[in-house]
Amino acid sequence: MDWHAWLPLMVVGTSLAASVGIFLLKEERHALRSGFNLAAAAIKLGLVAWMAVGVLDEVHFETRYTVVEGVSFILRADALGIMFAGLSSVLWLFTTIYAIGYLENAPNRSRFFGFFSLCVASTVGIALAGNLFTFFLFYELLTLSTYPLVVHRGTDKALRAGRVYLAYTLCGGAVLLLGVAGLHALAGDVEFAAGAGLRTLDPALHPALTILFVLLIAGLGVKAALVPLHSWLPIAMVAPAPVSALLHAVAVVKAGAFGIVRVVYDVYGIEFAWSLGLLDPLALVACATILYGSIRALAQTDLKRRLAFSTVSQVSYVVLGTALFGPVGTAGGLVHLLHQGLMKITLFFCAGNYAETLGVHRIDELDGVGSRMPATSVAFTIGAFGMIGIPPLAGFVTKWYLGIGALQAGMSWVIGVLVASSVLNAAYFLPILHRIWFRAQRAPWPDEQFRMHRDTHPWLLVPTLATAALSVGAGLLAGMPYSPLYWAEVVVLREYLP
Amino acid sequence: MNTVIDAFGLVATPALPLLMILLWCVPGFRPRIACWTPWAALPALLLAFGGEAGAFARLDWMLFGTVLGLNELNRVFLAFTAMLWLAAGFYARGYMAGDGRGESFRLLWLATMSGNFGLILALDVASFYASFALMTFAAYGLVIHARSAEALRAGRVYLVMAIGGEALVVTGLLLAAADTAAPLPMLAELPGAIAASARRDLIIACLFFGFGVKAGVALLHMWLPLAHPVAPIPASAVLSGAMIKAGLFGWLNTLPLGVATLPSWSVAIMITGLIGAFGGALIGVHQRTPKTVLAYSSISQMGLITVGVGAGLQVPALWPLLAPAVALYALHHALAKGALFLGVGIARHSGGHIGRRWLWIALALPGLSLSGLMSSGIAAKLTLKQALAAAGMPGWWNHLPWLMGLAAIGTTALVLRYLWLLRGQDQGDRASRSVWLGWAMLLVAGSLSAFALPAIGLEEKWIASAAELVDLAWPVLIGLALADFARRRLRSWPIAAGDVLEWFDGAVRLVAHSLRRLPGSARRVRLPVPPSKHDLRHLAGHRANGTEAERFWRRESALVFVAVLVAVLLAGFAFGS
Repeated sequence: MDWHAWLPLMVVGTSLAASVGIFLLKEERHALRSGFNLAAAAIKLGLVAWMAVGVLDEVHFETRYTVVEGVSFILRADALGIMFAGLSSVLWLFTTIYAIGYLENAPNRSRFFGFFSLCVASTVGIALAGNLFTFFLFYELLTLSTYPLVVHRGTDKALRAGRVYLAYTLCGGAVLLLGVAGLHALAGDVEFAAGAGLRTLDPALHPALTILFVLLIAGLGVKAALVPLHSWLPIAMVAPAPVSALLHAVAVVKAGAFGIVRVVYDVYGIEFAWSLGLLDPLALVACATILYGSIRALAQTDLKRRLAFSTVSQVSYVVLGTALFGPVGTAGGLVHLLHQGLMKITLFFCAGNYAETLGVHRIDELDGVGSRMPATSVAFTIGAFGMIGIPPLAGFVTKWYLGIGALQAGMSWVIGVLVASSVLNAAYFLPILHRIWFRAQRAPWPDEQFRMHRDTHPWLLVPTLATAALSVGAGLLAGMPYSPLYWAEVVVLREYLP
Repeated sequence: MNTVIDAFGLVATPALPLLMILLWCVPGFRPRIACWTPWAALPALLLAFGGEAGAFARLDWMLFGTVLGLNELNRVFLAFTAMLWLAAGFYARGYMAGDGRGESFRLLWLATMSGNFGLILALDVASFYASFALMTFAAYGLVIHARSAEALRAGRVYLVMAIGGEALVVTGLLLAAADTAAPLPMLAELPGAIAASARRDLIIACLFFGFGVKAGVALLHMWLPLAHPVAPIPASAVLSGAMIKAGLFGWLNTLPLGVATLPSWSVAIMITGLIGAFGGALIGVHQRTPKTVLAYSSISQMGLITVGVGAGLQVPALWPLLAPAVALYALHHALAKGALFLGVGIARHSGGHIGRRWLWIALALPGLSLSGLMSSGIAAKLTLKQALAAAGMPGWWNHLPWLMGLAAIGTTALVLRYLWLLRGQDQGDRASRSVWLGWAMLLVAGSLSAFALPAIGLEEKWIASAAELVDLAWPVLIGLALADFARRRLRSWPIAAGDVLEWFDGAVRLVAHSLRRLPGSARRVRLPVPPSKHDLRHLAGHRANGTEAERFWRRESALVFVAVLVAVLLAGFAFGS
């Protein structure tokens, strides 16, 4: 049997099997469910790591099945896909650990973890999808599998958030479908291929291709929270912390950004997109989103809402990097796919820790939290400084590469956006850090739990510290093999020198 | 063998303070860390005197290949920085004993120290910038240590200006690095790249003003007289002695000094320097607390150094002569100013010795050095003056050495003002032995530094002729006479610390209030009024709707967004085209 043809399917299958298995388990089988879930996450991580090593050696992993003539279901591991799959497997493991601690004694855990695994299965599917059709399939599955997670608490607020979320993402999906179908009509089954693209098509079709590009980006932009399609994201904040963490770091928002990366690089091809003049408007939209998200974040008094607007801003760094024509800019955008995931999930874990341990949700309740929860607060500080772009943290690498890339692409105005965004990031993160570390506790904590722990429950603390350590490592060891930057450069090499 | 020891020292210098922070996390170690903290600066001092210029350590795994190294320039900076941190560390151990926030102070102290050493030793852009940022952000905690309304305000001004500075620095570094081969180049590649860059002037502006915030350049200096007085005394000493030099160090490493002739930049920088040198003195003599006087004196002294830097852009060929002069002046100022700052605490807690003559002589000694009549002061002033004279500056700038003498009148007046203000500071108690030790270390270091110069690669320099003696003495004598006259006849004006900022705040408040009074505008226009000192005391209360700033951003986010976007685009097209 040829393993190479089955590995991509097995990776998606692990999460899928975990999901089905969890649904089948009775609600009270907590230990078994947790064990099953963690085992699946570990196996998946192993499989992805195996494929990652193979992809570096140019081994071809591909699962292919023809649905009907001209429409294939393709799962394929290329360098870009492995980047995203790797991120989702690593963070799935940590988020699962976190969620087990977070939902201890909560109702409906079976439903939660079932959909949680399904959501991760769709994310990996998106990562490994080898053509637009497969991508679209998993993209919609992701929408449907996250809805139950967003409304998990079942409150009015959660249900309303769920409705808004569905309305936005389903409309986005419909627009995307239009784009995918249109492209299929013009060019047949569009496989993702680095460097290739639609440039061989008749030049008379170029206006149509431009319109389809706009449709695809608009459809994907809903999930990537591009302004003005971002409004669902801050509302969806009512979800439990691990869901928000996963939503913001890997699953939904990142799926949109990843889709945009795929469309630009592997459907149109960066040179072709550039020659159609599509990159400048895309960069403009990304920059507007970066600034808008940061400015809105300044006004938020709720910690998770501030982080949500920060996500709106930060995810667009990926889009911006995609829109910069040149290897360094591309590397900056791609690497942020991972960096933003690591840093943002750390911040959300921390927000969850504060809420679970002390009942603190609002920023002005954070006064003096540093001495009660020092480890969590250190992790938060790392995440915040990373977002600002202070070396040696991950965010610095991104910002520096995007800056150099922008200059090489002749878009020097982007430097202004990057610097302004850094300053705005400082303006909304540093006051929080000031409260955490330099203010004295003002009032009793709203709802203190885990009094016997110095910081918080180990199930909550360990993943937080692990992702914080990874955020430091991604920056500090950026020059080492297998670092996010290294992967980004591998992708770039294969994109620009096919 | 020596290279191994040097490499070890290079890594240990910035790493040891960080290691101590890690050790602190183990509760059992905390009392010991409290005791060891001053010693964290020792490897740096040993390295400065024992290491060989040209030694380097490569950490390829870190960032984009971190390189730490020792050369002629950074050895001097390392020497005085280490001395200052060591002495101030001992001082702090006694001074902060029994302080409720002592633990937090120590951690921030160590972090700031690590950043300061790191930026001096870093030879690559990434680790230089990382260390610079670490120092900047950790020092914020030192500034607001007291948590008083004044300290918090000073901290905010410091942080806002520092972030502005960082933004400019990173812009400058990015633009400069875009023209080099690797995305993150070595520092040494920058001056050449900048000189050849199409965006040369923009880059120089970014770097000059960005580092200028740290160096206390005129009009970017406002944080200095606010932050230095409110920080605990040992922190003020390192802020004013060592960290302020980080800005200068940034200039020396990035600006195309000795590479390009840029007459207009040179003139602009020298004028800024002179404004700082004279303005600092003129405002400083009216201050009413000794630490504020010292802060203005730092602005004034940094102004003189800035003139030296500016001259380097005029006559590149003479930079090899000017660079050591500038470094020597930095060393001289750091040691003298550090001792003066530490002296404030000695005068406050002299344990009844405040009436003794020997104490006053000891307190005045570093001042004498600062005015140029003692030890490193002689060497620094003479070297810089002679280097400037040798530069053969065109036209009017020929008179620079004479102008420096004029500025020294101000220096003397400031020192006397400081001593005058010290009289009323005695609080009756006696500082601990560690405090006296720290102060004595800096006094001795300052007094003997002239002999130690050859050990760190600088030339010894003493008064060689009567002309040189006159050259150094006349400003001091005039300063003494002026101070005596002022003591009898003049009263100081009430110029608040932070001068321009206060005036600016006042103006904005005036405009905002008058706008509010216009009929019909009361509801529409609600400008954020900068809080006065009085308001700040009441700002601590709980606010259900978030802080004033948060509410402002909520109201005006759309407007601000559009404004920022337009500004960025305009700026971009302006310098992109």
